[in-house]
Amino acid sequence: MQPITLTLQKRDGTQWLEKLLSLGEVIAPVHGSGEDVIFSTPACADAVLWDFVNPLHPPKRIVLPQTDPLVKIKHNGQGHEVEPIYDDAPRILFNARSCDAKGIAFLTRMHEMEPADESYLRRALRLTVISLACTAPCPLGFCVCTNSGPFLSDGYDVQLTDLGENYLVEVASQKGHATVSCAPNLFRPATESEIAQRKRLEAEAKNHFGEETCHFASAMRRVSTGRVSDALWQRISDWCLECGACNFVCPTCYCFSVKDLGRNGGWVRCRMWDSCQYSAFTLEASGHNPRPERKERMKRRFFHKVSAQYYQRDAMVGCVGCGRCIKACLGTTSMPAVVSAIRKGKWNE
Amino acid sequence: MNNVYLPTVAQLVNVCDETPDTKTFTLRFREQGNGNHFHFLPGQFFELSVFGYGEAPFCIASSPTRPDTFEATVRRTGQLTDALHRLGNGEEVGVRGPFGNGFDVEAARGKDLLFVAGGIGLPPLRSLIWNVLDEREKFGKVTILYGARTPTDLVYQQELQEWAKRPDVEFHVTVDVADASWKGNVGVVPILFEKTTLHPESTLAYVCGPPVMIRFVVRDLFVRGFKDEAVISTLERMMQCGIGKCNHCAIGHRYVCRDGPVFNYSQIKELIE
Repeated sequence: MQPITLTLQKRDGTQWLEKLLSLGEVIAPVHGSGEDVIFSTPACADAVLWDFVNPLHPPKRIVLPQTDPLVKIKHNGQGHEVEPIYDDAPRILFNARSCDAKGIAFLTRMHEMEPADESYLRRALRLTVISLACTAPCPLGFCVCTNSGPFLSDGYDVQLTDLGENYLVEVASQKGHATVSCAPNLFRPATESEIAQRKRLEAEAKNHFGEETCHFASAMRRVSTGRVSDALWQRISDWCLECGACNFVCPTCYCFSVKDLGRNGGWVRCRMWDSCQYSAFTLEASGHNPRPERKERMKRRFFHKVSAQYYQRDAMVGCVGCGRCIKACLGTTSMPAVVSAIRKGKWNE
Repeated sequence: MNNVYLPTVAQLVNVCDETPDTKTFTLRFREQGNGNHFHFLPGQFFELSVFGYGEAPFCIASSPTRPDTFEATVRRTGQLTDALHRLGNGEEVGVRGPFGNGFDVEAARGKDLLFVAGGIGLPPLRSLIWNVLDEREKFGKVTILYGARTPTDLVYQQELQEWAKRPDVEFHVTVDVADASWKGNVGVVPILFEKTTLHPESTLAYVCGPPVMIRFVVRDLFVRGFKDEAVISTLERMMQCGIGKCNHCAIGHRYVCRDGPVFNYSQIKELIE
């Protein structure tokens, strides 16, 4: 379908959300306990946040739950029965930030590669992503370095921009169209000046990025050709506590293990998040471990995220510039810190 | 779109003790027929489920020239293999696969073939060995060199005797440490190179075994004039999904489960990360 651009009056936002809540499960930023903001199902339309700092946990789990049931296994007294488990409930992710929308697009592209992963795709194809463009950069974000924000040119079904009195509503897909056509009286075509204002806001947002930057190009050259010294990987990995937090808060990390969990007298075979930073990630039953040392695992993580080989496959670096690893890292081995060390050939302690 | 994680139920039709900690399991799909056969190449692997314990990758130890059943030879070494070793005839397991590239049997036609295996490294080569022996006229000279730590660690003992007797196979076996009954060679696998004459220009060498054995065998082959492309091995990694998604077996941007597990040494040298 042709993309269309509409305008929604701010005061009609709640009414639109009420309509969306009646269509299916909505996941949006809401207040959690304490000061937390989390992605969750809002109790009512008013609970959805429009002005918020991005939650520490990305909405990745909507398409890739931490424990993702794949196959039901049962013994019926005679023999075993196996049956695939699918989740194709319609869902709307509302007010996701640009980086997170791009992260989900990245995951979907990966799971579409042959052989396609039906369990993932059934869930992802029913998900409608309504993103909220960032008119001001968030404190730790560097999405401008990864082409995943502050505004998006693809990777969303609907993109909203706060224009002050109104929201600009860019509709890019059939799924996106369904979310506006259910409340046609709330939207009107956007004017030329509103579209011009959006362009201005995007340019201004890009100019306001702070100190957090990440220069991937020269790091990519070094990582792709194995020109980062072992000593530097050792130095960097001294500051990693092998907790896996960087993986679990990353919108693009998807490494997993497959395990059987006991359920109702049978088992459910599940895909579970795993971390390439754990020594057991590559440990074989024989005791042989191809990556026994932390520096080798650190090297692996950044090869997967930053190398030209993967860039060629994924058409982007494995990073959306959300800055979550900066916040989550118990040590200091976040994406910008490591990329900077690779680029300079020196670890900044 | 097929569900890539859905196993097919298979039955154990035979369980055979190889060594005190290793058994060979013969499998057949429970719903055999309906085109439900297992089509594979030597060198490919499959994911074997012990229901409730999960799944793990094993090479296919039998030859595709004997398609009624397929086999895996498994050492008891962890939770899943412990559970597998407790299963007997008629019991059910799950199968996904086959996965990986396998050996290029066509490329081996007309060539002399040298198989060098150590310990539990024989099963993946056994698949190719029987494939070759079942179509013996298509291949040149066949030489099999095999070694294990002790005589009790030798797998497929009956077949080893059969290979030793065949006039169309040159077979040598050694053990690192002999016992009272052992009358044969004593020493590590590379000592067997002294027992045979190699023709590197016309030979493909297939090497599989523990990493330390592979290192010494491959070094000796290069010293004897083998080219990188003529030395072929299968790599072992902890493949979980089998389809290049879970990342457990990644080396650089290559995946042992999909781009391998069979690589020649020219390819192995290009695996960087």
